[in-house]
Amino acid sequence: MFEQLVDKLPVGIGIIDESFNIVYFNEFFLDHLPLELRDNYKQSSIAELFPEQGKFLNRRLKSVFVLQHPSFSYWEQRPHIFPFKSSRPITGEETQMYQNMEIIPIKDTKSDGKLACIFLQDVTAQASYFKAQQKLSEALRREHEKQRQLIRKLDSAQSQLIQAEKMASTGQLAAGIAHEINNPIGFINANMHTFAHYTSNLLAICNGIEKRLNDFNDDLKHQMEALFEANQYGLIKNDIDELLEESTEGLIRVRDIVDNLQSFSIETAEGLQSVNVNQVGRQLISLISAQYNSIKYIFESDHDEINVIVNPASFKQALMNVMLNAAQATSENGFVKLSIIDKGESICLKVLDSGSGISPRNLSRIFEPFFTTKPEGQGHGLGLSVAYTAIEQHQGKIKINSKEGKGTIVEIVLPKQEAIDSSS
Amino acid sequence: MSKVLSLNSEQQDALQELLNISMGQAANSLAQLIETKIDISIPKISAVTPTQLFSLLFETENAYYTRQSFLGNIHGEVMSVISRSGLSEVAELMDYDEPLSKHDIQEIILELCNILAGACLSGLSEQLELITNLNMPTLFQPKKANFDELNWQHSLVMEVQFEIAISSFIMRVVFCLDDVSLSKIKTTLDEILE
Repeated sequence: MFEQLVDKLPVGIGIIDESFNIVYFNEFFLDHLPLELRDNYKQSSIAELFPEQGKFLNRRLKSVFVLQHPSFSYWEQRPHIFPFKSSRPITGEETQMYQNMEIIPIKDTKSDGKLACIFLQDVTAQASYFKAQQKLSEALRREHEKQRQLIRKLDSAQSQLIQAEKMASTGQLAAGIAHEINNPIGFINANMHTFAHYTSNLLAICNGIEKRLNDFNDDLKHQMEALFEANQYGLIKNDIDELLEESTEGLIRVRDIVDNLQSFSIETAEGLQSVNVNQVGRQLISLISAQYNSIKYIFESDHDEINVIVNPASFKQALMNVMLNAAQATSENGFVKLSIIDKGESICLKVLDSGSGISPRNLSRIFEPFFTTKPEGQGHGLGLSVAYTAIEQHQGKIKINSKEGKGTIVEIVLPKQEAIDSSS
Repeated sequence: MSKVLSLNSEQQDALQELLNISMGQAANSLAQLIETKIDISIPKISAVTPTQLFSLLFETENAYYTRQSFLGNIHGEVMSVISRSGLSEVAELMDYDEPLSKHDIQEIILELCNILAGACLSGLSEQLELITNLNMPTLFQPKKANFDELNWQHSLVMEVQFEIAISSFIMRVVFCLDDVSLSKIKTTLDEILE
């Protein structure tokens, strides 16, 4: 009865003698053996019958016989000790059976000889489930990582938005101030002209008197000379023109800066307009040089005026970002050069700087949004990506070349007349 | 220390002596199997709180941990700490081929624990004339927080350290018993002492 029971048990049971030969296999084992082995497995060596794991089986059997203590093996470490097929050849996900094995020492009741009993459990279902779970948790982990990156980008975008908002309001503020400055500058300018006129009249009067001094009587002449001297007339006469000239120049500079500020900050015009790129270039240089003033700026163009049809706001923004980067990368006594070349159908803008350059590793990522080498809080890594998008929208091309420690050259090619991307 | 746990000095001496014998047997078994000399420390008997047990076992650097429970006349768990260093020499002695895969290493660790814990336990059971069955070992990655929450206050631990002479390999085996099993052991020790 027990023999029948053992035969029918849903686990593999095998008895091995001390020479590692098979004494008995129950039906579970036999059912999984190849047909030709089923009749003559008895007394053959287990390592010969299952050569792939023969060494391992011998080792474990030795341990059981020597120590008289059970030995265990798990599917995680050794999934297929016996090369048995999975019990679901049609619908199962696994083709091989996953096995847990236990070998326990027993004694032959008749001869009292040492024997080992192998218990083999089919754990294919658990293994398959476990592996699916692992895959799932791996997928979950990856998903989680992706989301974390997205959140980081969102955080960065949010701070960028705040920054942009600030910049926009700074721009409006600048425009407002520029407008306020324009009024007093207007009347100061007008008054200055009148001043110059009045001054020359006053000087003419004094000069006339000075020339005719000898016609006065001595007493009057002395009085007049003393008066001239006391009021340093000689100095005033020499200095006054120079002072007036300097002040007028200063006023012109103030007016230029205000004009530039206005044209860059209240850029409300959407859509396409004809823009003189040379003028834009010059304006940009005077704006940027106000902030980064230790660098030499060079402007080069073969024409006085080159007109292109662009969206002025995004074009100016793009060029500004490129120029700003160049200026920021360049140290004292370096230079930034902007050359604009008319190529007939298109124009080419080259921004060359003698700055720190970009390493080849960074160069490949330079147009990526949020890529920056500036310290945290000083840049958002958007400048060049914004420039790239803007130039792309104008059907243009932007290229960058750099040598570390030497400098960088950015080349923008822009068609003069083009249909703008509808998304712009 | 709770009352249940206290062994009197005679019981303690007797247990110590039995441990010495059974651990010696364990070392011999292993030496026979892997054909190399093995040194063992003198077994230590002490009572610990869960937190102390954690420090005793799992604050060892560069180690693998396993646990294995046993049933029979006495119940408890065996925990083992295996040094990472010297493991490849042991693997060679156990007839594994280089290079060792992650799974090979896991298998070696589990097998080593099974052999040593099994040998120690069967030695001890034999001395005390008890019947014990060791279950399969599993790898263990304990967290201190979990140990602080365990619901026992004190446990008797028996600790022994094995060293393999030719390499830097060290393994510590720690037996922990539950209260019922401890009373059983005390009774058995008293019987032996009579």
